Amino acid sequence: MTSLNNASAAAADAIAEEGLIGDPVPLWKQTWKRLLRKRSGQVGLIIIGLLLLIAITAPVIAPYDPNDVLIGTEHVKRREAPCVHLLGCDINRPQHIMGIDGNSRDTFSRVLYGTRVSLMIGLVTVTTALVSGVLLGAIAGFFGGIADNIIMRIMDVILGFPSLLLAIAIVAVLGPGIVNALLAISIVSMPAYARVTRASVLSVKTLDFVSATRALGGSPARILFRRVLPNALTPIVVLATLGIATAILDAAGLSFLGLGAQPPMPEWGTMLGTEKDQVFSAPHLVFFPGIAIMLTVLGFNLLGDGLRDALDPRLNT
Amino acid sequence: MKLGLIGGLAMVSMTAVLAGPAFSFEGKSVAAADCNYGGKIKSIVATDEHTVAFSMCSPDPAFEAKAAFVSFGIEPSEHIEKNGPKKALLDNPIGTGPFKLDSWNRGDSIIMSRNDAYWGDKPSFKTLVFRWNQSGAGRLNELRAGTVDEIANLSPEDFDGVKNDPDLQFLPLESPNTLYLGMVNTVKPFDDVKVRQAIAMGIDRQRIVDNFYPEGSVVASHFTPCSMPNGCSGEEWYKFDAAAGKKLLAEAGYPNGFKTKIYYRDVFRTYLPEPSAVAVEFQTQLKQNLGIDAEVLPMESGEFISQANAGRLDGFYLLGWGADYPHITNFLDYHFAASNMQFGKPFAEIYNLLNKAGTIGDPKAAEPIYTEANNAIRALVPTVPIVHGASAFGARATLKNAALRPFGAPRLQDVDPGKDSLVFMQSAEPISLYCADETDGESLYACTPIVEALLDYAKDSGAIVPSLATSCEANSDSTVWTCHLREGVKFTDGSDFDANDVVVSWAAGIDATNAAHVGNTGSFDYFSSLWGGLMNVKK
Repeated sequence: MTSLNNASAAAADAIAEEGLIGDPVPLWKQTWKRLLRKRSGQVGLIIIGLLLLIAITAPVIAPYDPNDVLIGTEHVKRREAPCVHLLGCDINRPQHIMGIDGNSRDTFSRVLYGTRVSLMIGLVTVTTALVSGVLLGAIAGFFGGIADNIIMRIMDVILGFPSLLLAIAIVAVLGPGIVNALLAISIVSMPAYARVTRASVLSVKTLDFVSATRALGGSPARILFRRVLPNALTPIVVLATLGIATAILDAAGLSFLGLGAQPPMPEWGTMLGTEKDQVFSAPHLVFFPGIAIMLTVLGFNLLGDGLRDALDPRLNT
Repeated sequence: MKLGLIGGLAMVSMTAVLAGPAFSFEGKSVAAADCNYGGKIKSIVATDEHTVAFSMCSPDPAFEAKAAFVSFGIEPSEHIEKNGPKKALLDNPIGTGPFKLDSWNRGDSIIMSRNDAYWGDKPSFKTLVFRWNQSGAGRLNELRAGTVDEIANLSPEDFDGVKNDPDLQFLPLESPNTLYLGMVNTVKPFDDVKVRQAIAMGIDRQRIVDNFYPEGSVVASHFTPCSMPNGCSGEEWYKFDAAAGKKLLAEAGYPNGFKTKIYYRDVFRTYLPEPSAVAVEFQTQLKQNLGIDAEVLPMESGEFISQANAGRLDGFYLLGWGADYPHITNFLDYHFAASNMQFGKPFAEIYNLLNKAGTIGDPKAAEPIYTEANNAIRALVPTVPIVHGASAFGARATLKNAALRPFGAPRLQDVDPGKDSLVFMQSAEPISLYCADETDGESLYACTPIVEALLDYAKDSGAIVPSLATSCEANSDSTVWTCHLREGVKFTDGSDFDANDVVVSWAAGIDATNAAHVGNTGSFDYFSSLWGGLMNVKK
């Protein structure tokens, strides 16, 4: 800490960024290393990596178009059980490793394309909720007073409802559809980000390096966005990762109820919802989309857990 | 109305004096001012305690078939006069039937107990329970588990499972029905007959029947099923021809199709066993064959029916019809009458023919007119008839006499469950138990054990059998039907059944100025559609 006598703001930046950490290895590199050492982090990363790969390469690996109705083009029955050649299914029959759905479409292709939809849902909702929630929470925590009161009371009201019920209510007003479902889930998950950000900002803004920047004449916006927020982000990153899982689950729930993705979009929740009555006569139609939802949520939850452990300062020894 | 009523009363009191009974019976009546309102019924008069005369504006050959319908069930006159205007009849039905309502646990069940004073054959069991479950698999599970004794509307994929299960019995239902793809001609682009014809040609109906309907279902060659007399006269429906449809659509100015919606309700119907899968199939076909982009939109059942009936749906809708009584008027007159707005502006080319044919008693004599009407429906395409679906109920193997009749709700009172109670599970909760103002099958099913009409449908055919009336006879030109009522019948509230109960029950539905003409929605669809319109409607 030899540069304290230098009075320029640029120097203060350097102090804040390096002085406090007191370690030449950047935080994110450390975290990454620690994450890779954790079993939950490894498994989460592998699952999500696979899902990303499937989402990107879906048109290549899916044997059919997800909306292709096979009536007339192939001799298959509606809701036919899976036919896997490797498992002894007659080689002359077309292979459908997850069977055929109620509208004679290939379930495997639909599940693969569903990965795209679900990841998109998770990322879009969490990004929307994150940006708006963090912004509101940061303003509330940093400026305090009336702004804090107004913002946080609104957040409290939103938190007062069970999240899925509120999402259903919002969709009921806006009308069913994937875009409105995304919006609804973003709105209901926003308060969590706002709260965590506010708490984090409240504790960070009292630290010495913030006072130093203020003493050096930094504008409030500069202090908030350059000093406070970057140092308050850790818990939010964890929350966002876990939030993706919740968002995917909520969206699947809304779609299951017919309020989210509309047919013929290959969305896992919609697939479950339309075939739920056939759970005994054609279990493969609810099993595979269900497994897909479960795996995706598991992946993000494991990654979130791993990240939390990796970012926990108490484990930093 | 006023004039008619006074006239009726005067006539009745004269009759009463002349007949000189032990006590004076004041017969009630209801009448239209004249026959210009377009309906069939001129007046209904209680000529003595056990006789009711229906004067018709024009001969009605289907009078008996219609009067047997449960929507024209008879409830006590005092009950209707007191509770009708307050909208308090909906969950408080009082009838003469084999069962009476004990309780309606909303969202769960309806409990009925045996009417021990029933005039007919008494049921062998004490308690009849109605339950409901929207899911076909859910209903079958309950039947398999033995928590219910009989279920309505088996899912087609469960047909074989039930037939092969020694614990269950398969009950085929031979009721004529039609699924149609509705359109409203006041909404663009359905106002253009070319668009409607293009859609009629652009849907591969055979593919829908082959893939989504159980064995025994057939592609609709006409709007009315062929088992109804004259239903299938005239030209057959368009053959599937996507190219011709596309060409017509281009001529109408939509070479690349258009955007629209497909509305439906997610409720099992014989004509629509798998609503959401069939809706997606229509979506796929419309896109593939005609380039029409349709969004699939399930709606709440009651809301869907009221919007569809009012012609307010701005896209396609999936609706159908099951026969209520064995006459072609049940299909054509209900859907294409001048008073029905469900396809938009009614087609005069169709309803003028129907009005003409509706006065002819002999089906042979009416055939040329129905041929013309069927051809007009084909040419104008108010809607696209798709399929006549086959269906079945399921029951525990231990149930005796569980067979279904072709018309009317199942006669659950005839079933012998071998125990004190029978639990029947249908697809949905009744909307109300005042069936004069309901049209959905679930409500009518639940009204049937409680409320009876003048006549009834036979157990094994479309024949009409006596019920509260021992007989109904027409005069020589079929313009006056006189019904002789059963004597000594009591309602479950203890009051005696007489001719005034018949007049008041009918008046509440048919007379738009009647104080009790409130019902549930107030539309009294069966009264207006089956009898050509409500009387005394204020213009």
